[in-house]
Amino acid sequence: MKALILVGGFGTRLRPLTLSVPKPLVDFANKPMILHQFHHAKILLDQNLKQGYSIPIEALKAVGVSEVVLAINYQPEVMLNFLKEFEAKLGITITCSQETEPLGTAGPLALARDKLIDDSGEPFFVLNSDVISEYPFKEMIEFHKAHGGEASIMVTKVDEPRNRIELRPTSIEKEVFPKIAAEKKLYAMVLPGFWMDIGQPRDYITGLRLYLDSLRKKSSSKLASGAHIVGNVLVDESAKIGEGCLIGPDVAIGPGCVVEAGVRLSRCTVMRGVRIKKHACISSSIIGWHSTVGQWARVENMTILGEDVHVCDEIYSNGGVVLPHKEIKSSILKPEIVM
Amino acid sequence: MQSSEEKVVAVIMVGGPTKGTRFRPLSFNTLKPLFPLAGQPMVHHPISACKRIPNLAQIFLVGFYEERELALYVSSVSNELKVPISARLTVLYLTIGPCCTACFRYLKEDKPHGSAGGLYYFRDVIMEDAPSHIFLLNCDVCCTFPLPDMLVEHRRNGGMGTVLVIKVSAESANQFGELVADPTTNELLHYIEKPETFVSDLINCGVYVFTPDIFTAIQGVSTHREDRASLRRVSSFEALQSATRTHPTDFVRLDQDILSPLAGKKQLYTYETTDFWEQIKTPGMSLKCSSLYLAQFRYTSPHLLASGDGTKSATIVGDVYIHPSAKVHPTAKIGPNVSISANVRIGAGVRLSDCIILDDVEIKENAVVMHAIVGWKSFIGKWSRVQASLVMQLLHAEGDYNAKLGIAIIGESVTVEDEVVVINSIVLPNKTLNDSVQEEIIL
Repeated sequence: MKALILVGGFGTRLRPLTLSVPKPLVDFANKPMILHQFHHAKILLDQNLKQGYSIPIEALKAVGVSEVVLAINYQPEVMLNFLKEFEAKLGITITCSQETEPLGTAGPLALARDKLIDDSGEPFFVLNSDVISEYPFKEMIEFHKAHGGEASIMVTKVDEPRNRIELRPTSIEKEVFPKIAAEKKLYAMVLPGFWMDIGQPRDYITGLRLYLDSLRKKSSSKLASGAHIVGNVLVDESAKIGEGCLIGPDVAIGPGCVVEAGVRLSRCTVMRGVRIKKHACISSSIIGWHSTVGQWARVENMTILGEDVHVCDEIYSNGGVVLPHKEIKSSILKPEIVM
Repeated sequence: MQSSEEKVVAVIMVGGPTKGTRFRPLSFNTLKPLFPLAGQPMVHHPISACKRIPNLAQIFLVGFYEERELALYVSSVSNELKVPISARLTVLYLTIGPCCTACFRYLKEDKPHGSAGGLYYFRDVIMEDAPSHIFLLNCDVCCTFPLPDMLVEHRRNGGMGTVLVIKVSAESANQFGELVADPTTNELLHYIEKPETFVSDLINCGVYVFTPDIFTAIQGVSTHREDRASLRRVSSFEALQSATRTHPTDFVRLDQDILSPLAGKKQLYTYETTDFWEQIKTPGMSLKCSSLYLAQFRYTSPHLLASGDGTKSATIVGDVYIHPSAKVHPTAKIGPNVSISANVRIGAGVRLSDCIILDDVEIKENAVVMHAIVGWKSFIGKWSRVQASLVMQLLHAEGDYNAKLGIAIIGESVTVEDEVVVINSIVLPNKTLNDSVQEEIIL
């Protein structure tokens, strides 16, 4: 059985992070987004139906998907290099279907048609790669086969249906599904648990909370513990945390990070190679790769630092969105973009 | 005066991919030296100026961009001139006059060596033809490049080097290198880079001519550094910062390390220009400099400027450049100070002024673009409006950075939908604007 993962697009909503890498390679919970599909394979191969809290690929593997097609249109060479490493490791064939221009959601489907349809008549999955959720693929397959229709769509109750589905050209949601629905061949299955589009910073931070929460429910050993930890916190084993810190809740600290003494972190992501200097305080923010946050700096309210950004000592950032390779020498009092 | 065997070479410093951010967002998708001003890549203007130097033997571009990034430019220049290129070295021969050719090469540094260090690093190649004089130009300087006159003055002065200088307002002088020159002999008496207090309103334009002794002088600085610790001049602000960068011994800056110490020793002289001079550091400046070069075309290359009165072709006002492949509807009104690049399509009733329209842009009917740069492959919808307000332009001219560059910038592959207004805003590549925006950066 095959799956098509929609990876295309420029990821402009996740700028400035996507100014440095293509969106699927932006780290989420210390792993590139798409890599969430490539880990936990062993856990999910367990035939026990544990609700997989990771994102696509291992979950797909658990239900017998042998080949994954990635529909990409941006920096394909970066993605392909990245994928080479993992294809062998996981025993899933990964191929890329490259759009020469963005085709929306249904376009890539049409383009990848040859790769997806084979004589087996087996159904195939279509997934949006920046959605995280619990993926009950097994139930979905059973549901789909049972109703005999053409397409099954996962729906979930959301509190705020604001623009959850981006309307793009030839959108599956806008154009294809209504057609199938009119023919009474579309069935909806309510998705238990959560569904979150982590394609923009606010949702990214909320998504991290949900993801770490799901790890907690599985009693994952990956979560950190200790006197200086509050709530759900993920700390890469190569990261160093100093004395007198208070970390959490809902924090991810990436590889090679250095968190000096007396630092307070909450509801934030600290990416690879970041140094947080003494006495700094960071909340509800994303600190991009190899950045530094100075002593006594206070960074909060959806501050997003791109790659290699240096916040000087004692600086305050209230929602600053800072492009890569900048130095912040004066405080940002209200949300603004620093280019 | 000069023997017919005395050769001259020119070296143009083009820089490389630095972490510099001042040219954003234009620097995201293009190399700064290749950004077009008045329809030609930025580096083309100093190259053209070099071609007027008598007995020019070679033009070198020195920088640390990857060769393949500039190879496209070098080969496109070659295609226009229909001369062969050596694939390995991207060597190209420019015909500059009867029985005269100049060799044109890109020399890539493995890492930045500083303005003088780069020159020294390639001294063997530069001295290949045993030139008597070496011009050194910065690519991101916009001026008339009065190189032949500079050379004449330099020979008269008899020193090691002559620096092109210009008078600026006293308030802005401290952004540059300030010089004091002897009013009769034009000798360079004193030089200081970006001083904290006012020294002089005469500043360094970044254009020089040297005799080969310059290499000895640069070498002297490098070995001097190894021998003993040198005092570094830092501003009082920098001195309070804990992080100070120490340069390797082969990083030699022309201003601080060569001009300053040699001032007042009868080695260096000045040549003053009274024409225009600007540094092309920000997108706002690129628009201004494009206009300056367009105005200059009126004297040097009037055939490059467009004309039209609305009957058979569009109404043209002031200085306008339109690439031959661009299509402009006859009911459009273009100018002043507009540069339109290749394959652009301008629809009926469009109004453009003070703008740079880059390759493959489509501007639909009745749209208005003023004081803006529209990036490659973008789409400007019907009745839409892209502009910077007059207030913002004035504030920017006075150095108020909060005025967000003084122009509106539409990045590469942006779609501005019909009837949308974009004022004093910057739109990064690959966005679609469905709603009007003012004073915003659209990431």
